Amino acid sequence: MEAKLMEALCEVLDPEYPVSVVDLGLVRGVAYEEGKAKVRLTFTSLGCPCTEIIKEDIRNRLLQVEGVQDVEIEEVFEPWSAEDISPKGRLILLQLGVT
Amino acid sequence: MALTEEALLERIRSGKLVEGPEYATERYLEGLKRTLIVSADTELISAPAYFRAAQDAPNINAYISATGIIQDELGHAHIAYRLLRDLGVDTDALVFEREPKEFKHPYAFDVPLETWTELVVANAFYDRAGFVLLGDVYRHTSYAPWKRALVKVDREENFHLRHGERWMEILAQDPDKKKELQRAVDWMFVLTLEWFGLPDSLKRHTDQIAYGLKGLTNDQLRQEWMKTAVPLCERLGLRVPAHYEPDLGQYVIDVPFPAEFDAEKKQWLFEKGPITWDQVLARWKARGPANEELVKAIQRGYERIRKALKA
Repeated sequence: MEAKLMEALCEVLDPEYPVSVVDLGLVRGVAYEEGKAKVRLTFTSLGCPCTEIIKEDIRNRLLQVEGVQDVEIEEVFEPWSAEDISPKGRLILLQLGVT
Repeated sequence: MALTEEALLERIRSGKLVEGPEYATERYLEGLKRTLIVSADTELISAPAYFRAAQDAPNINAYISATGIIQDELGHAHIAYRLLRDLGVDTDALVFEREPKEFKHPYAFDVPLETWTELVVANAFYDRAGFVLLGDVYRHTSYAPWKRALVKVDREENFHLRHGERWMEILAQDPDKKKELQRAVDWMFVLTLEWFGLPDSLKRHTDQIAYGLKGLTNDQLRQEWMKTAVPLCERLGLRVPAHYEPDLGQYVIDVPFPAEFDAEKKQWLFEKGPITWDQVLARWKARGPANEELVKAIQRGYERIRKALKA
C-alpha cells in the first residue's frame, strides 16, 4: 500500500514547475493504517507560498487511491536543500532554466 | 554592413530569432523597447498594488502566498528591466526618476485594490491577462533573450492564477463573501477587458506583428482571456457581462464597451451608453487614483538614499 501511495504522490506536481513532490524531495515518509493515508511532508522553505495548494493537491490525489478514506498530512519542517531533488527533477528544472 | 529593414523582416519571417541588438535595426529596437517597458512597468506596479491589499489577508498562510506572488512579480519586472538595460536603456532613471504618470502599466492597477477579495480577483483576472499577453509573446517573440526568460515567468504566473481561483472558490461558499466577490467582479471584469487595448478596427498592428513582437491582435487576446475567465465565473455562480455565442464562435460583451468608469466609486456607468476609445485613452493618460501612491512606494527608498548621500 505504501508503494501505491508513493506512486500516486509521483503524480502530484509542484504548483509552479512540473516536478513531483516526490522528485522535489518534499515527501519524508508515507504510511497506511485502516483507511488512512499518512504523509510526512516538508517544504522548500518556511515561507513557501504554496503550502496550502500542495497539501490540497496531495489530499485530493490520495483520496483517489483505492482503500484511502482519509488523509493526514504532518508538516515536519525537516531541513530541505537543493540536494534533496532527484536527478530526474533536476533535469526537468534545468530544462526550464532553473539551476 | 548595416542590416536593412527588409533583410531583418525576411529573417524573422523565416522563423529566425534575434539574439541581440547587433542583429536588429533601430526601428525593431524601438518597438522592442516600447513593448518591454509596458511589460516591466506592469509587473513592477503590480507589486505595491497587491501588497496594499495583502494587508487584509485572512490568515498567515494566505499572507505568505500573497507576498510570494509579489516577490515573483518583482522578479518578472527585474527580468524585463534587465533586458532593457542590455539594450542600453538607463533603467535606474526609468524606474526611479520617471513621473508617476509616465509609467506604462495598465490603468486597472491605478484603481486601488483594497481587500483580500479584490486581491484574489486581481490574481484571477489581472494575472490571467498577464499570462495571456506574455504567453503570446513567449510563443511569437522574435527576440530570443526574452523568449528564454519567459519560460520561468509563465510557470510562476500559473501559480498566481491558481491562487486567485482557489480563493475565489473559497469565498464563493460564504453568502456574504460571495456578494463582495460579485461586487469586485463587476468592476474588475470590464477593466481587464479594457487592458487589451484598442479594438482591431481602430488599431493597426502591422509593425508589431511583422517584427514578431506579438502574435495575436488585441481582439484575439481579449477573446483568449474571456475563454477561461468567463467559465471560471460561471462555475462559481458569479455574473459576468459576457457570454459565448456559438454561432459566432466567440465571446460577446453584453454591456456598452468601452464605457465611462467612476474610479472613486469603482463603478461602470453603463447607463450612459458606450464612449469612444479616444475618451478611454484620455482617462488612461490622466491615470487613476492610486497612480502616484504606487509609483512613490517604489521610488521612496531610492530618493532617501540619494538625499542621504548628498547630505
